[in-house]
Amino acid sequence: MVSVKFQGISKVYDDGTRAVEGLDLEVEEGEFLVLVGPSGCGKSTTLRMLAGLEDISEGKIMIGEAVVNDLPARARGLGMVFQSYALYPHMSVEDNLTFGLRMKPKSERPQADELKEMVQDTAKMLGIEDILSKRPRDLSGGQRQRVALGRALIRRPKVLLMDEPLSNLDAKLRNQMRLELRRLHNELGTTTIYVTHDQVEAMTLADRIAVMKDGVLQQHCPPLEAYHEPANPFVASFLGTPPMNLIEGQASEGVFTSGSLSFSLPDHLSDVEGEGVFGIRPENVQIPSDDGLEASLNGIERLGSETIFHLDIEGVVIKAIWHQSTKGSSEGNDALPEGNFGVSLNDSSAMWFAKK
Amino acid sequence: MNGDLASKWYVPFELEVLRKSALLVSVCSLPMLWVMYLRDAGLVLAFLGLLAGVASIYTLNRENRDLMMSSSALQLLIGALILYQSLEFGVAAVDIWYSTILLCSGGFGLFSLSSQRLSSWLNSTLSTDDAVLGLARNRNLSPRWSAFLSHFILLHFVFIVLVPIIWMIDVALSPGQSASSGMDISSWTLNHFASVLNKSDFWTWVGNSVAISIGTTLLGLMLAIPAGYAFSRHRFTGHGAMMFSLLLVQMFPGVIILVPYFMVMKSLGLLNTWLGLILAYSVTALPFCVWMLKGWFDTVPVDLEEAAALDGCGQFGIFWRIILPLSLPAIAVTALFSFLAAWNEFLLALMFNQSPDMYTLPVGLAFSITQAQKWGDFAAMSLLVSLPVVILFIIFQKSLIQGLSSGGVKG
Repeated sequence: MVSVKFQGISKVYDDGTRAVEGLDLEVEEGEFLVLVGPSGCGKSTTLRMLAGLEDISEGKIMIGEAVVNDLPARARGLGMVFQSYALYPHMSVEDNLTFGLRMKPKSERPQADELKEMVQDTAKMLGIEDILSKRPRDLSGGQRQRVALGRALIRRPKVLLMDEPLSNLDAKLRNQMRLELRRLHNELGTTTIYVTHDQVEAMTLADRIAVMKDGVLQQHCPPLEAYHEPANPFVASFLGTPPMNLIEGQASEGVFTSGSLSFSLPDHLSDVEGEGVFGIRPENVQIPSDDGLEASLNGIERLGSETIFHLDIEGVVIKAIWHQSTKGSSEGNDALPEGNFGVSLNDSSAMWFAKK
Repeated sequence: MNGDLASKWYVPFELEVLRKSALLVSVCSLPMLWVMYLRDAGLVLAFLGLLAGVASIYTLNRENRDLMMSSSALQLLIGALILYQSLEFGVAAVDIWYSTILLCSGGFGLFSLSSQRLSSWLNSTLSTDDAVLGLARNRNLSPRWSAFLSHFILLHFVFIVLVPIIWMIDVALSPGQSASSGMDISSWTLNHFASVLNKSDFWTWVGNSVAISIGTTLLGLMLAIPAGYAFSRHRFTGHGAMMFSLLLVQMFPGVIILVPYFMVMKSLGLLNTWLGLILAYSVTALPFCVWMLKGWFDTVPVDLEEAAALDGCGQFGIFWRIILPLSLPAIAVTALFSFLAAWNEFLLALMFNQSPDMYTLPVGLAFSITQAQKWGDFAAMSLLVSLPVVILFIIFQKSLIQGLSSGGVKG
């Protein structure tokens, strides 16, 4: 187990595009770090720089105590799972698994029986014992995914890298593999860096997440901390479904104003002043309420366990979650408030992001 | 509602079959006109056949039963007359062929048009129930009939392709050195093959051809594989220009560069050598090979190379262990192409290697017939020369299709 350090990492392409900008990030030994962000935010580039597939324009990357900037990919001792799985089509599953071991210099190469044992162990761990002789094209998506994972793990990599490994699977399989990835990590304890654009994967898998946007690191902390205490409006809106309601406006003397909307801020925000963004998660919006704010209903999404309201308060559109199952459609319709009704944004978890 | 739709859409498939067979009769009448003209007899019959065919096509569109019946009957009549006439001249294959088509087409027309179903359909008195049944019958029978007809037509093309080959085999196996012999299978012998195989010249030429073709293939592949890979994976200055110039070279007819080529080879002292031809052929085959291989390498995902890089391969290891094994189908195609190009080439071989002991097979073949008109030996030798080509095609057929259709589907 080793740690990984990014120190002032930047990636500048030939055409001047800056994909990653001054990234400082530390991954501790045995940690499961998820790099998350919208597409084009530089998360994959960061991973590929660490893997040695992409040159590092500025900064230092350290694996353990060693600077690896100029080491070729094969010398870095990493295992990687690709989005496309990248299994070698002309080799059986077993040969795919052992390819990396067989490529080692003669002195480090395992003996044949040792190799066999490693294959068996890995196959057992991933439940792929009975497909070892098959070719990748004869496998299902889930099986390919497992083989790709096995190929990365069999060499006991110092760091395991995963680039959107689950995005080619269907929703059910994705949920299942997510749990399994976490179980494997708990078992093996390999330092893992995982790239995804899916905030659910980030929240469920990570020990810590690193949220990136436009090549810049936004926040690096445990997932729940990022959820409850987002560093900026971007992180706030990126994590959680539906995302946090963000209302731009002004605060003065405990009152928030945005256009014709105006309400008194919750107590813990009563001393904020000036321009900024008021944020409140949909589950914290209280309806119905007699707080004095009047909302009209724009639309309803019934998800079964909860109901999402699209509300219009004085021209500001927000979402609210009602954690009450509306059982039976006709009965449920009756239970829903009709026309205009009262809403309260006065919640102790509401956030304030001052404008810089 | 359903029945109305059926009545509206039901057209008996027999009509479609008749339309196609009438077209077939008309088209087949054209070569028959020529045959009859050469024979100076029966021109009228072939002309009437053409007329009957065209009339069928025309009347079919009118849905006019009586006219259709008449033109079918006319086809039957002409078919019979041609058979009768051929008895006078001796029955020839063309006569049987032509009259069979006429008899079948006319017979089918008469038979189907006189059926209950078709006559009531033509009179628009078919009940809706029968129309529904008819649609089901169409779905069942019409694919078989159209398959039969298209195979029958395709057989003609097969015949056209096979005739020269059969002729060549016949000449090669028949005794004597005549170019025309009448398919007398009982007299077939292997004498011509024996005499060709016993000539030491022949074996010298085989040696030259094999050496030059294999040399061309190896040199071509050695240059084209790395070039194609580089063009596919790397972007460098002059990338596009070089790819285009490779194509440009292909656009000039070979004759234009024949003389300069000859001078170059002469000053390099490469006339009457294997190497001279190997170099010339490799250069000619290279553009196709490079483009072909580049196209293939483009379809091999870069992810695989990156995975291999992480698995411990260097640039060469990636190429050798991942890219090459995956590219065998494309390599087989390019290898076959350069081999065949070198094996069959005539003009350059004729110019460069003028001493008889350096002839390649095509050149040797050409000289063997200009010196003495031994058609039997010539045909036997032609067959022997084309044998490796046929064998190679049979062996590589599978990868040929795979290689040529590459890029369509991701593996």
